[in-house]
Amino acid sequence: MVVILSWESRKIGDTQLLKSTLKLAKKVVKDADLELSDIGLIVHGGVFREHFRTEPAFSTHIQGGLNIHCTGIGFESPSCFSFDVTDGSCSPHIALQSIADILPSIENKYALLCIGDDRPSKNSEWNQDSYCVVAVMALSGNGPKLISVDYDNSNLDTNIVTSGYFDDEIKRNKTETSGQMVSNEGKYADDYFSGDNRWLSGQHMHEFLIRMNKHDDTLEHCIVDWSGKSTTAKWEF
Amino acid sequence: MQVGDRFAQMVSFAGYLPEKQVSTKSFAGIEDLPRSLDFVRLTGIESHHEVSKDQGSFELAIEAAKKALLRANLEASSIDLIINASVSKMDKNLSQHLSPSYATSIANELGAKNAQTFDVSNACASMMTSLMIAESRIKSGNVDYALIVSGEFITPIIHEAKRRNLYLHPRALASLTVGDGAAAYILGPSKSSGRIRFSEPFTLAQYNKHCIGQASKKHRGPQMRTKARDLQNGVINNLGVFLQRSVNYMNLKWEEIAHTYSHPTTPKAVKKGAKIAIDIFGEINFLHNDSSDTANTASTTHGVLLEKSQNSGYLKSDETVFMVSFGSGLAIMAIHFNLPEGVENW
Repeated sequence: MVVILSWESRKIGDTQLLKSTLKLAKKVVKDADLELSDIGLIVHGGVFREHFRTEPAFSTHIQGGLNIHCTGIGFESPSCFSFDVTDGSCSPHIALQSIADILPSIENKYALLCIGDDRPSKNSEWNQDSYCVVAVMALSGNGPKLISVDYDNSNLDTNIVTSGYFDDEIKRNKTETSGQMVSNEGKYADDYFSGDNRWLSGQHMHEFLIRMNKHDDTLEHCIVDWSGKSTTAKWEF
Repeated sequence: MQVGDRFAQMVSFAGYLPEKQVSTKSFAGIEDLPRSLDFVRLTGIESHHEVSKDQGSFELAIEAAKKALLRANLEASSIDLIINASVSKMDKNLSQHLSPSYATSIANELGAKNAQTFDVSNACASMMTSLMIAESRIKSGNVDYALIVSGEFITPIIHEAKRRNLYLHPRALASLTVGDGAAAYILGPSKSSGRIRFSEPFTLAQYNKHCIGQASKKHRGPQMRTKARDLQNGVINNLGVFLQRSVNYMNLKWEEIAHTYSHPTTPKAVKKGAKIAIDIFGEINFLHNDSSDTANTASTTHGVLLEKSQNSGYLKSDETVFMVSFGSGLAIMAIHFNLPEGVENW
C-alpha cells in the first residue's frame, strides 16, 4: 500500500490544529529530503473543526498555508489535490487507505497525511487531549509499510452518536454525545497496539507512532471508536 | 493498485428531490435585495426543493440510496463500501452529525452490514472525490460494489441569509442559490477498461477562503459566506486549460461525448463555462443545464441532474457522460463514464 517516509506529532492547544499542522508539515517534508512542491496529495482525517465548519475541506487550508500549487492550472503545471475523510476515531486509518487509493493516480507521488481535531466551540465539552500528526507518505521507500486496513462493525452501538447543536438557553453551539460508551483502556503487546477508546484520532495515531519506532517486524494497530466500530492497520517494518 | 483485468463501471445512479417546491421570488424578490437585484434574471434559478418537516440529510440520502439499489438489482448486503459525501449532515432539528461517520448510520438503516463505511468531505466535489476512491478500491480487488451517497439539507442557509441585512452582508447572497436534494451512485466491477475515467484532480487553494460553510454563531443552523464573483472568476480563468488538459489526460474525443454536465452553481454560470468549452472544442452534443427548478444542491447536483435527464428519456445504455465538478476550496475535477445497461428502462 503506502510507506511513511517521515512523521512528527505533538500535543496541541484546543484550537491550534492548522498552525501546528503547517509547522510540522514543513519539518517532515524537510526530514524526508523533499520540497513542499513535491507534495501532490493532502488528506486530513479528524472529526471536530472550529465553528463546526463544513466547507471547504480542512486540507485545503493546509495546502494554502503551505502554498503548494495553489494558484492556477497550466498545460504542464504540477498540481496538488486536497480533501478530508472522517469516521470517528478511526479517521487516521481511513485517511491512510484513501492516500493508498488515490496516490497512484496523482502526478506527484508524495502525500501528506494530516490527523487532528480542533475544539469546535468554547461551550463544547472537551475532556480529550488534542494531538496533531503529520506524515509524508509515498508508494515506496524506506519506512514503515502499511500492508492492509481491516474493519470490524460487529461491536457497533448505533445509539452512540456525537452531534453539534445550538443550545437555545445559552445561545451557543455545543457538542452532545448520545448513548452510553463503554470505556476500554486498550492493549499493548509485542505485535499489537490498541489505544484507549476515549482518545481522539490524533492521540491514537500519536501513541501508535511512538510505539512503532521500537519495532522491526510487524505491528497491528487497532483503533476502537467511541461507537464500538474499529479498524485495524497492519504495518511491516 | 490494479489487479489483472479488473476495472470499474457505473452500475446505477439515482437522484431524489423532496416534494415541496419554493419559488425564488417568494424569498428573493426585487424588493428584498440590494440594488433592486432581479435575482431570477441574474441566476436563472426560478425555484428549489425543500425538505418536509420530517426530513433531514439522512432521510434524503436513504431515498436516493434505496432507488439506486433497486435500479442496480442489488441487496444492501451486497455492498462492500459505503461512502457518504454529504456536506451538510444536518437533521430536521438542525443538529450536525459528527461521529461516527454518517455512512455508518446510512449503512445501518439500509441493512448493509458488511460494508466498510466512512465520509469524504470536499465541499461540492465530495461526491466525485468519493467516486474516485471507490473506483480505485474496485480496481484493486478489495471491493465489488460501492455505494456513494449524499443527502443535502442546506436550505437553512437561505433562512439564515434572510435574517441578515443583505445590504450589509452581500457575501450571504449566494446562500439564496441553493436547494435540498440527494443522489447516489453504485459502482461495480467490469472486465472492460475505460468505462470510468477521471481527470487529474486539482485544488486551487488560493481560493480556500472564498466560500465558508459553518454553524451560525447566533442562531440554530448553518451559514455560508461566499465571495461569489471572485470564486466564479477562479473557475472561469482556469476552466479552458483544465478542460484541454483533462480531455487529453482522459483520452477523450470531445465530439463523441454524448452528455455533458457541469456543477450548476447557477444556470447562468454554466452557460458562461459552456461558452469557454465551445470556443475551444466546438459544439457540446448535449449540455444538461436544467437546474432552474432545483438550484444548487451542493454535492448532489450531478446526480439530481442525471435523474432529471433519465426521467426525460434522454439517456440510453452505454452512452457516455462527462461531468465537471467544482467545490469550494477550490476543487476542480471531472469524470467520464458509460451509462449503465438498461438505464432507459428504469
